Formats: sequence, C-alpha cells, structure tokens
Amino acid sequence: MIRIGDVLVSKGEGGVYSERMLDGYRVWDPYRSKLAALYLLGKGIELVPGMKVLYLGAANGTTVSHVADYTEVVYAVEFAPRPMQDLLEVARRRKNVMPILADASCPEQYAMLVEAVDLLYQDVAQPDQAAIALRNCIFLKKGGHLVLMLKTRSVDIRKEPAEVFRDTLDILISAGLTIVESTWLAPYHQDHAAIICEK
Amino acid sequence: MQSCWFGDIDGGKCTPFTGDAAAYARRVKESRVSMDNFVPLDWERAVACGVCRDRAEYLSLLQKICIAGSEQGIRERYASGDVELLQMVRTLDEMDTVTNLLSERVADWYQIRHPSFSRKYRRTPAHVLVRSIAERSRERGGGGALNRVAQEIAGLAEARTALAKEVSARACGVMPNTSELIGGLVAARLLSCAGGLKELSRLPGSAIQVLGARTALFAHIRTHAPAPKHGIIFQHRRVHNAPREVRGKVARVLAAKLAIAARIDYYRGRAEPAFLEEAQARIDRAGTPDTGGEGGSQP
Repeated sequence: MIRIGDVLVSKGEGGVYSERMLDGYRVWDPYRSKLAALYLLGKGIELVPGMKVLYLGAANGTTVSHVADYTEVVYAVEFAPRPMQDLLEVARRRKNVMPILADASCPEQYAMLVEAVDLLYQDVAQPDQAAIALRNCIFLKKGGHLVLMLKTRSVDIRKEPAEVFRDTLDILISAGLTIVESTWLAPYHQDHAAIICEK
Repeated sequence: MQSCWFGDIDGGKCTPFTGDAAAYARRVKESRVSMDNFVPLDWERAVACGVCRDRAEYLSLLQKICIAGSEQGIRERYASGDVELLQMVRTLDEMDTVTNLLSERVADWYQIRHPSFSRKYRRTPAHVLVRSIAERSRERGGGGALNRVAQEIAGLAEARTALAKEVSARACGVMPNTSELIGGLVAARLLSCAGGLKELSRLPGSAIQVLGARTALFAHIRTHAPAPKHGIIFQHRRVHNAPREVRGKVARVLAAKLAIAARIDYYRGRAEPAFLEEAQARIDRAGTPDTGGEGGSQP
C-alpha cells in the first residue's frame, strides 16, 4: 500500500468524491472507507497489481475507486439503483471497474460475469452477512482472502457487538475458512469489525 | 453444455454470441446459472471462442456489458413510477415546511418595518400577509430584500400548488385503488412513509392505521400512553370529520381496506370496481354510530 507519511493514498485520476490530493496521489480517508481504516490500523491484505477483486456492497464507488487504483479488476456488486448511478459514473472513467446491479445474497444473478478472484471484499448492511460471504466464496481462489467488514448493528441491534463478532467467527470457521486476523475498526468506525479469512 | 456470457460451450466447441452490449446484458439477465458444482469462468475461453483477442479486450467488452446491464436494471427499477412519486411527495411536504417557516419570518420582519401594524383582529395568517406584500410590491416595483423574499415565497407557493396536482394525478396512476379510497395526496403520503409501493403493500392494516404517528406509537409502547388512533390517514375527511366516538373505528376499518387496496395496486396495478364499491360501503357503515357495529365493534 502506498503511504505518504501517515496518510494512505492511491494512484489514479482524482475528483471521484472531491477527495484531497497529495503529490498527485488520491488521499484515502479512513473515516469514510472501512478498508482504509483497516490498513491504517496496520492490518489487511496488501492490494497488488494483477489482483482480481469481487466487491460486495459497492455503494457509490468511493472505496471501489481506490481499490481499482491498486488492482487489475474490481467486480463491484450493488443492489440499490440510486448509488448504482454514481458507481456507473466511476466505471465509465475507470477501465477496471465492472458495475453489477444485483443482490449479493443471490450469486447466481452475476455468476456468469465474475471470474475466480484473489480477494473477496464485503461491506453490506444485512443481517446475514456471514451467510452472504460464504455463498460468494465460490468465486474465491484456493488461498484467496475474504475481507468481511462486519456491521454488527446490522446483524442484530439487540445483541452486544462482541457477541455478534464471536458468532460470525464461529460461522466462518465451521464453514472451513481459516481466520487470518480480525480487528475492531475503532476509532474510525464504531461497532464495525474486520475479519480476514483464507480459503 | 456450458453457457457463458460470450457464448455457449458444448464439448470442445464454442458458439460465440453476437449482438451489441445491451443484447449481451439481456442474455446474462435471462440465463439461469446453477450454483451446484459451479466453477468460475476462465477468461481465456473467451479468446478461444473468438470474441476477443487478449485480456484488455476481454475486460473492455465485459465492462460495456456490465454498464449496459446495470443501466437497463436501473431503468427497470425506476419504471414502476412509485420511485418518482416518492420524491415528488417528499418535495411537496418539504416545500410546505419551508414556505411556512419563511412566511412566519417575513411576517415578523414586516411588523418591524411597520411599527403601527398588527395582525390582531385581522384574521391574516402569515401566508396571506406574505401574499399581499408580494402583490403590492409587484405593482409598485422595487422595495428591497423583504419584498423580494415575499415574492419568492409567493412563487414557491404557486409551484407547490402545481406540484400537489401532479402528485395527485401520479398517485391515481400508480396506486388507483388506494387513491380512490383516500385521495391521491394522502395515498402518496402513505407511500412515502412506508418507503415504496412494495413496502406499503406488505404492511398490515394496523400498521397503515398509525403510519405517520411514530412518536405517539412509541410513547404508547414505552410509557403506556393512549394508543394513537390514526396517523396520516387522519388527513382524510372520512376520519377527521367522523364523530369523535367512532373516529378510531373509522380509522381502523379504512386502514384495513387500504391494506387490501395497496396489495391490489402492487400485484394487479389497476382499479377493481367491485372491491372499491364494497370497501366504500363498509367504511361508510363504520362512520355511522348506530349501524357501524357489525364486524368491528367487538373489543
């Protein structure tokens, strides 16, 4: 990952969401992007050129644009039409973003378009986040990584975040994934955890 | 045979698909992929199939298809009309808030300008005062910021009236049964509160009854304050004109019929005269204190 001092940046065409530029690099704000927060906490999977990424919950394409700066191709799945309009604009300006309007919990909707990927990144506000991730692991290469941004408050608002976190880890382990590392995203994001697994 | 976005592979032989990006996107949308024993696509098969020469060409073609498919998908989702209606009715309600707020402010300002002026005994609500300021200043011309603002508010009020008509007409098209029972404007507000026609059609009558009375409902649940009898549907004359003692009952019966109407609107999308006639009769009966007992008076 490219850093200038303490600031995480990526190399690419700026102006996607009026992000700050630093020496010609795009500043990647950890308070807006959970993935940036993960890297600034000293964890995460290094993004390298040639990497293929399946991104679930692409939203407006803010984080997608940074991931696309580092990698070869990003398959960006988003369900809601309004943010998809923004994502399309990002895709029109970046050759390696593949926007897919589909439900991430139904991989058969986009199975035809997506190839085997090195990294599965998920950031969806759904109660069954672990199940969605597991269903999409079918696209993940052996030895590839899953980065799950766990929104504990979306899983169950009544449960303690730590409890949701433990339950999710159990589901992922019992499905045969190896947990590489996991962390809470405080102080950047409250009640959000990142879980990194290897297939 | 294996079906890929770029063609059908049968044994070792590949038949490429031809067409523009939109045609490819339709093919992807219509095909059913089985997820048992699923193996992700290998891009080199597209080269072997002859649809592209190298990786760059593959990605560029795939991106065109993805963009075409997503654009098509967005159009389809917006086509039902309730998405735009939602924005229209929310704009309308926000315009009301804004014009009221500004009118009160301008009225206060006007009083400072005219120390001998008072609204007492004149029965002039702020918006009427603003309108007369705007008209007078238009005749005379000029007059500084106060008059300009008053004119802007008057213009906004005109736009609001036009928008209200449009909302009403659109609601009658998108939700004919619900609009027939409760009027286009209130029907649209119910839609906005529920978040869409699909969401509204999945609410039970009891929820529709108190839609828009969130504070009262949660006060009831938390502190056992009296339950709200009606939310947005109070705006309909049938509810607010009903005698106090049957108002709750009218609201309940109306909401129950609205729940059915919303479902017909969502699943059939056209007016059902037989249902409407029966529902209107039932709601009217609930509004008459003596005969309204049947079916609804039991605790």
